Amino acid sequence: MTDLWPRLAALLRNAERPSRYINHEWGCTYKPDASYRFCMVYPDTYELGQANQAVRILCNTVNGIEGMAAERAFLPAPEFCDTMRTEGLPLFSLESCAPLAEFDAVGITLSHELAATNVLEVLDLANIPYREDKRSDADPLIIAGGPCAFNPEPFAPFFDAFVIGEGEEAVCEVLLCHRRLKAKGLTRGEALQAIAAIPGCYVPSLYRWLPEDAAQVRGSWIEPVHEGLPVVVHKRLFAGFAQSSAYEPCIVPFVEAVHDRLNVEVLRGCTRGCRFCQAGMVGRPVRERSVENIVSATTRGLAETGYDEVSLASLSTTDHSQIAAMLEQLNRACAGRGIRISIPSQRLDAFGVTMAGLVAGQKKGGLTFAPEAGTQRLRDVINKNVTEDDIFDAVDAAFYAGWRHCKLYFMIGLPTETDEDIEGIASLAQRIYDRARDIVPAAQRGAVKVNVACALFVPKPLTPFQWDGQIEPEEALRRVGLLRSSVKSRAISINWHDPSTSLIEAVLSRGGRECAAWVEEAWKRGARFDAWTECFKQEAWDEAARAVGIDPLIAAQRSFDPAYLLPWSHISAGVTPEFLRRERQCAAGGEKTVDCTFDACSECGVCPGLGVKTQVQGVRHA
Amino acid sequence: MPEVRLFRLRVFFCKGGRLALLSHLELARALERTVRRAGLPYAVSQGFSPHMRIAFGAALPVGVGGLQECFDLSLASYVAPDKALEALVATSAEDLMPHTCNYIGSKAPAASVAYPLCAYEARFSRAPEAPLPVPETVTLTRKSKEKVLRVADYLEGEPVWDGDRLTFALWSRPTGSLRCDTLVEAMLAQQGAPAAPGGETLQLVSLTRTAQHALLNLL
Ligand code: SF4
Repeated sequence: MTDLWPRLAALLRNAERPSRYINHEWGCTYKPDASYRFCMVYPDTYELGQANQAVRILCNTVNGIEGMAAERAFLPAPEFCDTMRTEGLPLFSLESCAPLAEFDAVGITLSHELAATNVLEVLDLANIPYREDKRSDADPLIIAGGPCAFNPEPFAPFFDAFVIGEGEEAVCEVLLCHRRLKAKGLTRGEALQAIAAIPGCYVPSLYRWLPEDAAQVRGSWIEPVHEGLPVVVHKRLFAGFAQSSAYEPCIVPFVEAVHDRLNVEVLRGCTRGCRFCQAGMVGRPVRERSVENIVSATTRGLAETGYDEVSLASLSTTDHSQIAAMLEQLNRACAGRGIRISIPSQRLDAFGVTMAGLVAGQKKGGLTFAPEAGTQRLRDVINKNVTEDDIFDAVDAAFYAGWRHCKLYFMIGLPTETDEDIEGIASLAQRIYDRARDIVPAAQRGAVKVNVACALFVPKPLTPFQWDGQIEPEEALRRVGLLRSSVKSRAISINWHDPSTSLIEAVLSRGGRECAAWVEEAWKRGARFDAWTECFKQEAWDEAARAVGIDPLIAAQRSFDPAYLLPWSHISAGVTPEFLRRERQCAAGGEKTVDCTFDACSECGVCPGLGVKTQVQGVRHA
Repeated sequence: MPEVRLFRLRVFFCKGGRLALLSHLELARALERTVRRAGLPYAVSQGFSPHMRIAFGAALPVGVGGLQECFDLSLASYVAPDKALEALVATSAEDLMPHTCNYIGSKAPAASVAYPLCAYEARFSRAPEAPLPVPETVTLTRKSKEKVLRVADYLEGEPVWDGDRLTFALWSRPTGSLRCDTLVEAMLAQQGAPAAPGGETLQLVSLTRTAQHALLNLL
């Protein structure tokens, strides 16, 4: 492989933060002799991508295969992308500093919709044709995975294949298959045929995309180009997760990266059943790892990396049936070494706060809660199974225990939301603040702060709210205005997101294959790093929409009848369409659905469909 | 609480290769992690957010390497210096390699101020036609404010050229210091057009702090 380091090194003296590009971090694996080479890309900068779980897990598993090497690549910061273009330096991997185009396969993780233009930036900077139909046998196989792969269509023309669901086994199967066929001299097309037969893999070029009317009549948006291809792609699930070791080799970055700490994955899945939450719907069922497994992985990981913080990562760590025992053992194991144990998000009740208190030590910064909606009515609609009493118990416990700030997450524009729900957010925040002031000693009252952060509802595929439209940006701003004017106390601050990027997210999240042209045109007009406020170019997206003839406002706001077939109907995450429809109906009636790890099975379809079971290590704390 | 006896270990290391591109903050974090990996009995500060008791030497600019860099680590129990060094070497990146460890007194000046005079070596893409003149002043702009430094206030003696290498020494003053890279860039900025038509302009290839001197050593 070509070593680009001498050329890169010459440019680094003037780069913004050169340590992003230098490799050589503690813990990285380099297999120069492997004959098959895979490069895993996070389509944003090193700082944002290095801690990404998919990058870590997939590099570790692929590097575990004899004769295969996995390297990492990230998108350089905008200024350095420009420098590289000017200098004709193509995008490189970190470990070998080799051009991406020289790898056998490149994997790109799609963690959010706003990464779409960065995918094109990655491929273009790598001198790899960004449309799959322009690639030749000499180009690497380009595969995608991650949350956005559950609706692959807006990305379809850019990828050779998608891996749906948990990738640790499926990606290895794809690469092994590709290596075997490449060695036999098979063409790209022949390899893709074989990959399409691997469970969990979707090869869009083997399916024609149908017009909307035809799709509704036919019962599918895609039509296989020949017989024998799967018509529904079922997500992959790593069935051995709970039993597998929680220990993973870990790279320790030099750059101050986000989530720069040891990450130990304690469980997968969350069945609380929030009706807007894609992660909860597609990650089922719940699988817990044992306390022993987690404690030994943490001890080993901390010793090997030298980190002073460990995060017990998952969608709902404080729901782990053995969480108290786990935290007590970890506290003992880490005592006196200045090591922090962090829980990314805790459940909204007194128990959650008690668990957070177990590891907070004396330093109590802020505590984060996500009531999501301001009234009980709307919380029931979205199936956020918390009552006002739960919320107050959590807040009381937090302020008694010594916390002085709390951050509350809400969503604006949820289906059925009215002005009363918005005023409900203000009222809830005010009552939380009043209780907190009553609890803390008089001298500390001035320190009490409540921060309200609002995100605009984005309908997500494979959730019960997938049929619901987003509210208009102006309406979103009006509701934010109403919320701000309803809040009386100055100790309560309100933050919100610019609705224009949420609009793009909504369109791409539910779009069909036609959206790819919009992404391409926006990128050609300079859109990239759309998730960075300072880089977002509204005009590029607006002009692109006119050029390709889509109306993003209409697409984002469109609500469908639950009988309507959506553009990802050929992708299954295990939850059945019937379950999603039933849940949508329950939402309309404000009826709640229980969490199957605390109560009876709610028949979402995942367990019988995938032949798996919920795996908990004991009885969960209700 | 009675004062607990701590053992102050001064560790010298090289910062070289591509890791010369680390910033001071990145270097500090990398060294702390090395100490943790080495399993040394480091002391932890008391208070709200307990952290390792470690203090770093004078900062090097991004892109500048060092042969005699150092940090002070407070240990809660005594470890023989060669044993401490062995443990650190085993958990250090090749381009951040410790080479000497010794204990210092509890009253000894901190690593960051112990060595006010530093020697540097710059390597260039080729030897200059004639030694580059040293500018009289260097102007710094920070947050749109300008500050003029008199080079003579910082420079010790005259810079010495040897082919494509330049060596010089700079004092750090209580009022501030002149960065080694700033001086070299200012010298480069003074070079005229290349002698031969189409000839290459002189470029900095590497810059290294080769030694740090304590006042005592200079007397
Ligand atoms: S099938 Fe039942 S037990 Fe399994 S995840 Fe769905 S609701 Fe839970």
